[in-house]
Amino acid sequence: MTVLTLPAQPGQNTEPAHLPWQRMVWVTWRQHRSMLIGVTAVLAAVSIFLLIAGLKVHHDYSALINCRPASSDACATKNSSFNNADWTMGNTILILMNLAPVLLGIFTGPAVLARELETGTFRYAWTQGIGRVRWTIAKLTLLAVVITILAWAFSQLFAWFFDPFLGFEGMNDLAKTVFDTRGIDFAAWTLVAFTIGALLGMLIRRIIPAMAATLGVYLGLDLLTWLVLRQDYPVAIDTTNAGLFNGPSTPNSPWILKTWTIGNTPWWRYIPVSRFWPMQLIESGWLLVLAIALGAATVWLVRRRAA
Amino acid sequence: MNVIETADLGKRYGKAWALRDCTLAIPEGRLAALVGPNGAGKSTLMNMAVGLTLPSTGTVTLLGGMSATAPAMLQDIAFMAQDAPLYKNLSVADMLHLTKNLNWRFDHARAKARLVDLGIPLKKKAGKLSGGQQAQVALTLALARRPRLLVLDEPLAALDPLARQDFMGTVMTAMADDGVSVLLSSHALADLERVADFVVVLGGGELRIAGDTDELLAEHRLLTGPASEADRLAGLLSPIQVKRAEAQAHLLVRTGGPASAPVPPGWEAHPVSLEELVLAYLRPTGIGSSSASFPRTELTEVTR
Amino acid sequence: MAIDKEMSPIEFRLDPSSGVPTYLQLVQQVEHALRLGYLKPGDQLPKVRDVVAALTINPNTVLKSYKELETKGLIEGRPGQGTFIKTTLEQVTLPDLATLRRTLMSWLASAEAAGLDEDGVAALFTSVLRDFYKERSGANAPATGGARGVEGIA
Repeated sequence: MTVLTLPAQPGQNTEPAHLPWQRMVWVTWRQHRSMLIGVTAVLAAVSIFLLIAGLKVHHDYSALINCRPASSDACATKNSSFNNADWTMGNTILILMNLAPVLLGIFTGPAVLARELETGTFRYAWTQGIGRVRWTIAKLTLLAVVITILAWAFSQLFAWFFDPFLGFEGMNDLAKTVFDTRGIDFAAWTLVAFTIGALLGMLIRRIIPAMAATLGVYLGLDLLTWLVLRQDYPVAIDTTNAGLFNGPSTPNSPWILKTWTIGNTPWWRYIPVSRFWPMQLIESGWLLVLAIALGAATVWLVRRRAA
Repeated sequence: MNVIETADLGKRYGKAWALRDCTLAIPEGRLAALVGPNGAGKSTLMNMAVGLTLPSTGTVTLLGGMSATAPAMLQDIAFMAQDAPLYKNLSVADMLHLTKNLNWRFDHARAKARLVDLGIPLKKKAGKLSGGQQAQVALTLALARRPRLLVLDEPLAALDPLARQDFMGTVMTAMADDGVSVLLSSHALADLERVADFVVVLGGGELRIAGDTDELLAEHRLLTGPASEADRLAGLLSPIQVKRAEAQAHLLVRTGGPASAPVPPGWEAHPVSLEELVLAYLRPTGIGSSSASFPRTELTEVTR
Repeated sequence: MAIDKEMSPIEFRLDPSSGVPTYLQLVQQVEHALRLGYLKPGDQLPKVRDVVAALTINPNTVLKSYKELETKGLIEGRPGQGTFIKTTLEQVTLPDLATLRRTLMSWLASAEAAGLDEDGVAALFTSVLRDFYKERSGANAPATGGARGVEGIA
């Protein structure tokens, strides 16, 4: 009769070392379902609005530029009504659109890790077989991809919405407030906001403070980019040719970054409109690298974290 | 095989040591009770054992030498933290599914059957269950992973007596059925004598004593005799604890074994209960204590 | 609840305040049941798992008591089937029991007349019981057998 012996356990460690990544797709979806649905719903609602409003804007603008004779009172009325109604709305949305990446980041990034730490569920999640590193990498990657794609799609719709105003205001799409909302730049800023949020969530371990900190860090980065980094993108051209900058500002005017004088000669640093896409690639490029670095830092923190 | 082995294990937070110089070996197939007051280092020790915290000094190895952070270890060890953390807004069925996805081994059918047996509704959100039900769900999830070692951090603290009974019943049955080893921490001593066959006593971040319950009880005696001889005897025997009143004194001593301790003439020897033993190691008072430093205490009832 | 023919004839209970170690209580209950005829050779003892589930005790404790009983030659394990009674103890027949009971009752009456109260009777009995069996089995007198008593010179 056996006494005080351990009943035979089948040979352990016969399974492969790591679980398939697909498992984490269900895990990420189920845990962050509300967040993803919420974000999608908000973006969808705003998108519907942009669609409807955008059709009106395009229609009004088309009527405006096709108005003949151009100097008549009727056309002037159209002009001022476009200015008061459409442009006011358009401008407001433009401002909000500039805040959108950080808002998206705040409401998605910190919650991923800070909630686990705040509620103590990390003691469950990080002792499961998959291991905390794989768990974190999978989650962050999946969420980042989804959010970035949603952001990109949304920014395309906005760019279409806003196009008439470029002509109306003579705005350049290299202007920071516009540049950031189109192309791939908007998606890249959103991605960075998300990864800042995730990292700060892991560092600060509380959701609300992490959200606040994310806002602060993002705004700081945004300011830094606008005031400092943009001056030195390798797409800019330095010139003394003042003739380029005469004439009214149109969407095709070159975008001036800064001016200075050497001796008596004035110099300008500018970006021609043709360099829009190289500039998008440069900015999105370093933002992507930054996002990956932040993600790696987050995973590293998860790995060495003390309970 | 030792299911947990530590060597000079220590953990420091800033300047304060939560645990230090902890060296112990817990054999497999046991239910090891980790006892001590709050802040004694129990959770710290457990967190290091399951890989949630890295030691500041020393090592901890599991299941015969595996590192606490090895991936294979994650498969074989199931941890249930204090307050049974579950995702509050997921249903019980979701938690089952989740745990299945996060592990190689998961006996989904058995877990489901067990929860149905317990009368826990699978569709209910985990946060809406009672404390006892949450604990049972967390335990069921842990056991369904078929671990070789089950680590439970203060699982009974928030449970009413009936829920405690149910919970420990599940743990004991799992030991009998699957041969799983258990490490369980508690700051309540009642009923531990019935379930724990290995005891680890932590106090103030130190390991006070650890060993097989039966061996420890056999090795300790409470000697009762005249207070006048207490100091002399204490000097000879190095008691763990001395309690004295005007006429009588009690010395709790550790002997070499059950039969080897001759009782001094004029003194009586009594066996000690596990509770007395643990309390004595948590509040040791050795030799060198004069009667002036002790308030006149009532004598502990030791005869039965 | 229908009586399951597969169940053991006996069921264990624990007395947490008796001071007797759990495993020993189980051993004593089996021996007691044997003496009184509740268990006969061939009867099955409760499965370890069932004892554990019913009493919420450590399975190693149950295994320890079964091992002790096996050492005493009272039980045997049949692989795949369970644990069964092998031999019987000297059974005290019911009429003898009744006689012993009466004798004890009258002795108790004399003790009371002599001035001993319940605790006094218990102490005296325990002491004599110990001496009696000490003489019989030499060194076989564990301090933990029976009610918690006092060793050494009282």
